[in-house]
Amino acid sequence: MKTTLANRLTPYMFLAPAAAVLIVALLYPLGYVVYASFLDWNPSQRIGQAEFIGLRNYYNLFSDESFRESFFVTIKFSTIVVTLEMLFGVGLAFLLDRNIRGMSVLRTLFILPMMISPIVVGLMWRYMYHPTVGIFNRTLKAIGLDPIPWLSDGTWAFTSIIIADVWQWVPFIFILSLAALQTLPQSVMEAARIDGASGWQSILYVKLPLMMPVLVITFLLRLIDSFKVLEVILVLTNGGPGLSTEVLALRISRTATEFRELGVAAAMSNILLFMLLLLTLAMFFYNKLTAIRAFRLKNIAVEEV
Amino acid sequence: MKHLRTLIYSSGVAFALATTTAFAGDPYAPYKGTTLVVNFPTTPHFNAVMKILPEFTKETGINVEVDQLQYLKMRERQTLELTKDVGDYDLISYVVFSKADYVFADQLENLAKYFMNPKLADPHYDANDLIDGYVANIGIVGGEKGYLPGKTGSLFGLPFGSETSILGYRKDIFEKHGLKVPETYDELLDLACKIPQLEPGMGGLSSRAASGHHASHAFLLHLAPLGGRIFDDNWNPIMNNEAGIAAAKALKTIVDCGPEGAKTFGFAEAGAAFLQGKTAMFLDSTQFASQVNDPTKSTVVGKVAWAMHPKGVRRGSETGGFGIAIPKNAQHKEAAFLLMQWLTSKHGDKLVAMAGGNPVRFSTHADPEVNAKYPYMSQFGEALKYADPDWRPIIPVWGKINADLGTALSKVLTEDLDIKEALDGVAERTRATMEDAGYYTWQQ
Repeated sequence: MKTTLANRLTPYMFLAPAAAVLIVALLYPLGYVVYASFLDWNPSQRIGQAEFIGLRNYYNLFSDESFRESFFVTIKFSTIVVTLEMLFGVGLAFLLDRNIRGMSVLRTLFILPMMISPIVVGLMWRYMYHPTVGIFNRTLKAIGLDPIPWLSDGTWAFTSIIIADVWQWVPFIFILSLAALQTLPQSVMEAARIDGASGWQSILYVKLPLMMPVLVITFLLRLIDSFKVLEVILVLTNGGPGLSTEVLALRISRTATEFRELGVAAAMSNILLFMLLLLTLAMFFYNKLTAIRAFRLKNIAVEEV
Repeated sequence: MKHLRTLIYSSGVAFALATTTAFAGDPYAPYKGTTLVVNFPTTPHFNAVMKILPEFTKETGINVEVDQLQYLKMRERQTLELTKDVGDYDLISYVVFSKADYVFADQLENLAKYFMNPKLADPHYDANDLIDGYVANIGIVGGEKGYLPGKTGSLFGLPFGSETSILGYRKDIFEKHGLKVPETYDELLDLACKIPQLEPGMGGLSSRAASGHHASHAFLLHLAPLGGRIFDDNWNPIMNNEAGIAAAKALKTIVDCGPEGAKTFGFAEAGAAFLQGKTAMFLDSTQFASQVNDPTKSTVVGKVAWAMHPKGVRRGSETGGFGIAIPKNAQHKEAAFLLMQWLTSKHGDKLVAMAGGNPVRFSTHADPEVNAKYPYMSQFGEALKYADPDWRPIIPVWGKINADLGTALSKVLTEDLDIKEALDGVAERTRATMEDAGYYTWQQ
């Protein structure tokens, strides 16, 4: 009796250290943020001194115009940015999926932007967007055009942060799509060629569908990441002009430091977390779905044989 | 037995006498060898202070270890330090905004008990010589409106590294076109838009305007002289009254006639534009002044003169910058008081001023030696007589109102949002914030 119990407990005992680490490192901070979001907490107080106000932070947030605006700015930003990055990244991968001399050097060059620290990217673009000494406006003036108010007009500022983000993250999509492309089975390509598929047709009907699982994961990863973007925008515009570029992450940071409302900042973080959780779940279910489909296809193939 | 008692008694007296004489000769003696840990920002003023701290150690035997942080990082660090049971900092310098929060959270020492202590307080300190506007704005809490001096107020910090607003202008440009230095707001606004016509490519006045704190700061600079306030005496928001609209209009005019890219200028960019000769005037903090004649930063060395912040319906230049205070959880409070007293004494203030800092005493501003080195000092001293300690409210919810005001003004400047509409919106949201914070509890 005793041995069976011990036997039954063994796997859990092996799991215990990992579970303990998980609880301390992951669940405790998470629980802390959730608890903090129910408090009226100012940084000069210890968490125990803060007043418990239930759901009021969340309630206030939904009627807060500025929060709603930054929420929509974030959605707009993420949608546009990720769509553009997917188009450019995948396109670039198709263009460079061939045997060119010095390909490895080129590939390294292409992924450089991704490796630069976001603060530096922000500073770099800020100098390039500078109204008088920036390269863009100087070039425009040199060819006799009107300078563009890159960062001082709401719409242009939004465009500017999109350009900077696309520049930085296209390489991420590019490198993953290229890897996917290069692992595609050569036999399928050959079959397509023999059947007389043109270049476009083989991309549209053969390569893209085969790459789809990788592309979907890449897309979701980028989408999740773009919801959390902070540094580049912080340096470039700090959310301005007005609130035109104030994404949620920036709003959270300002609420905690500038307005000194830690409870409200925690509530916003939780809303952001919830949105990201939905996306992650979507990713999880997609994975499950493709796995099931692959399994079924395999079974059919086995039966046919 | 009796003999022994007499012996003990007399040696006790002798010891007491010996220590008293030590006190009489050198008030710093009991603290000799103490090491103070202080938290200063990396502003030009405090960089100057770093140069004179060895002098303090030489005179007093008290060592000072400085934790110098970028000024925006200080708040976070201090918030953590001040909530600990035993703090590491013996003296902190704080931005004026923090005054309300720290005192409200009961984290700073009331200075009364130190100034009452005859062993610590220097009778020659001459507190009346400290600049009134600075002390009212940065040091005293608990009087009128809660954040100003008054019959119920008391002192929690001393101004140090404080600043006011001043108008800098290009002597050469003004002489070339025979322009008169503006004394009123009408003249200022008129000139701001006239200069770009006289000197193509040059902006009139360089101002901050970036969304958020910068735009709000620039607006407040004009609000006080033009007769406005953020709140009336009952905490009702009134930034959308006539004076408020006039101040926002002034800001818009200045930015529209300013140098290229002015709509996104922060303090640094506005200053840089003036230093690079892209504008003819500069209206902002006195902290900026020491850079103008530094050839490594400025292309206008020797071409700049200073004048008072122009007058609207009244004079009212800003007050702000830093103060120094002793945290409640400090470990060496008395020695820290001696340091803060020394730094703001006539002697210390002059040393800091000579090293390039911003003095906090009228006498230092008038000092001939200081003026020989920094000729603008007497002008600043004159301007400081009109420094307005109430040019912006110092209440815990100000951060939020400030950000909202700055965002709305940024929309006025960049998206041509109607001024009245923008300020009405700010007033409405401010009222809600104030209501939440309990400011209308006593209103019927």
